[in-house]
Amino acid sequence: MKAVFYTADVLSWVDDLGGVPWPLLPIANRPLLDYWLETCADLNIGHVQVILGEGADQVEKYIGSGTRWGVEIQYSFARATERPLDYLKATSDRWQEGLLFISGPFFLRRMAGYDPVAFQSMDACCNGCLGQAQFLFGKNGDEVKKLLDETPKTECGLEKIHVEPYVIGGMSAYFDLNMNMVAGEFSRYVTAGFSDTDGSSVGYNVLTPPSAILNPPVIIGNDCRVCAMSTVGPNAVVADHVIVDSSTTLSNCLILCDTYIGQNLEIDHKIVAGNRLISPEDGTVVEIDDSWVVARNRPHMRTEDLLRYVVLWFMALALALVQLVPFLLLYPLVRLSRIGEYRRELFHDPRVGYVKLPVFYKTENRRSLVYSLFRMGSLDRFPWLLLALRGRLFVCGQPPMRHPQDDETIRQLPRYYPAVFSYADYCKDSDLLSDSLWYAHIRSLFEDVKILIKSLLHRFFRAGR
Amino acid sequence: MVVTCSKENGIAVVKVGSALTAASVDAFREQLSSWQSAEPEVKNYVIDLERVDFMDSAGLGTLIAVLKRITERGGDMKIAHLQKKPRMVFEITRAYKVFEIYDTVEEALKGFE
Repeated sequence: MKAVFYTADVLSWVDDLGGVPWPLLPIANRPLLDYWLETCADLNIGHVQVILGEGADQVEKYIGSGTRWGVEIQYSFARATERPLDYLKATSDRWQEGLLFISGPFFLRRMAGYDPVAFQSMDACCNGCLGQAQFLFGKNGDEVKKLLDETPKTECGLEKIHVEPYVIGGMSAYFDLNMNMVAGEFSRYVTAGFSDTDGSSVGYNVLTPPSAILNPPVIIGNDCRVCAMSTVGPNAVVADHVIVDSSTTLSNCLILCDTYIGQNLEIDHKIVAGNRLISPEDGTVVEIDDSWVVARNRPHMRTEDLLRYVVLWFMALALALVQLVPFLLLYPLVRLSRIGEYRRELFHDPRVGYVKLPVFYKTENRRSLVYSLFRMGSLDRFPWLLLALRGRLFVCGQPPMRHPQDDETIRQLPRYYPAVFSYADYCKDSDLLSDSLWYAHIRSLFEDVKILIKSLLHRFFRAGR
Repeated sequence: MVVTCSKENGIAVVKVGSALTAASVDAFREQLSSWQSAEPEVKNYVIDLERVDFMDSAGLGTLIAVLKRITERGGDMKIAHLQKKPRMVFEITRAYKVFEIYDTVEEALKGFE
């Protein structure tokens, strides 16, 4: 059996959600296409043809070769003059072994009695509206031909296997679907072994301080940060890379990826996509320019970045001048006592791709006054400070990412500021990706000065321990 | 930004002419202040936001500052005709808990009775 996914329809209402093409619309934090491809896996379909339209590059990037779903993918572009059904009819000889066809924002909504086994015994059926098929399933060439010759019906055999043909026809339908998923339906789409004790799903690298409350049911994606005294839930779907600032409440809402939610806000019955606040009832969109209310979690701040860079450069110069003499005196002693040395390691560089940086390592596990003094003055970072003065590193920012260990992390970073000092220098529980995402959003002169002072003090008092 | 101020039964009705944003709050504040100086006996205010189709945090902050000033003088302020988009901003910033909001100016005026 083969599958054809037609993704060339144009849906204007999806534009308000921040540029994601509709085939990749997140439903409970998974793109719509992911559900379609999982259906292929359920039906043992090995070949999938994806007909592309707008957003083709993003769709192709997401699916790739299809190995994640165990399918072989073939891409083609839609012709403006040809309707999907015309294409299927014109190529009917290709569907002798059966066909699964899905078109438009069509979601196979699993109802309470759904059983994946029933899918394999499903009868041939076709579903559509306004004469256009949105779902077509036939197990052999004859069944497919018969369905293609008929007018698509609004009801079909999907209901027999407890699947509701759900058309995501607008913002309201999209919001309702996500709310139904968080209310409990999402567990029908996960594989055996998933434990759903309180109706919640929380991804990797989700930082929540003790004062933050997660009220089930919630769905939270990966690499999120919920700040102090914030409440997430009930019925909140939070996508990847979302920052929820302090004292904010999220309930009955959908927060799309890379969004910053400011302090002391109350998001209820809303969709937030970057700096767009959307009412799910009528699709009203408010674009908010104030990056401290709601914002895209990757703002461009060229002037502030430049100011920050210049001020920190002079601070680095002052620090380097202070460190110069102690470094020239202590480093030869450190080498002579063989307690530590610099090794050159490969790091990611935002300009030239990769760069080798000297990293100081303690080579012997013994107490040493020379080493303690060397660490107390943060003299191990002196070569990096010189690189910061040459413009190769930032003074404060994210930890430089190693190659190849941190390749995956850097792929997820919207902005990369490899720096001499970072949160990791003074925060024991620092998480590389979460902190890097946090810094990319929160970066400011104040934050940089805070990082610099805290790092120097922490290293001074913790040296030798 | 045009701000039209009138008096009904001793209550000021302030009609705001356009979006209340960082670019227009100064004009709003100046015009309202000069009217307040001319009519010092007026204590209570209704802010008519019928023509305000958008409001940012600066606009919201200005309304809160105006409310604070009016209550310090022993008066009160109510909001009428809050449009959909500013209402959404009011909702997420919890400003609806600070202001009394009415659908019409008449209802807001009755609210003072």
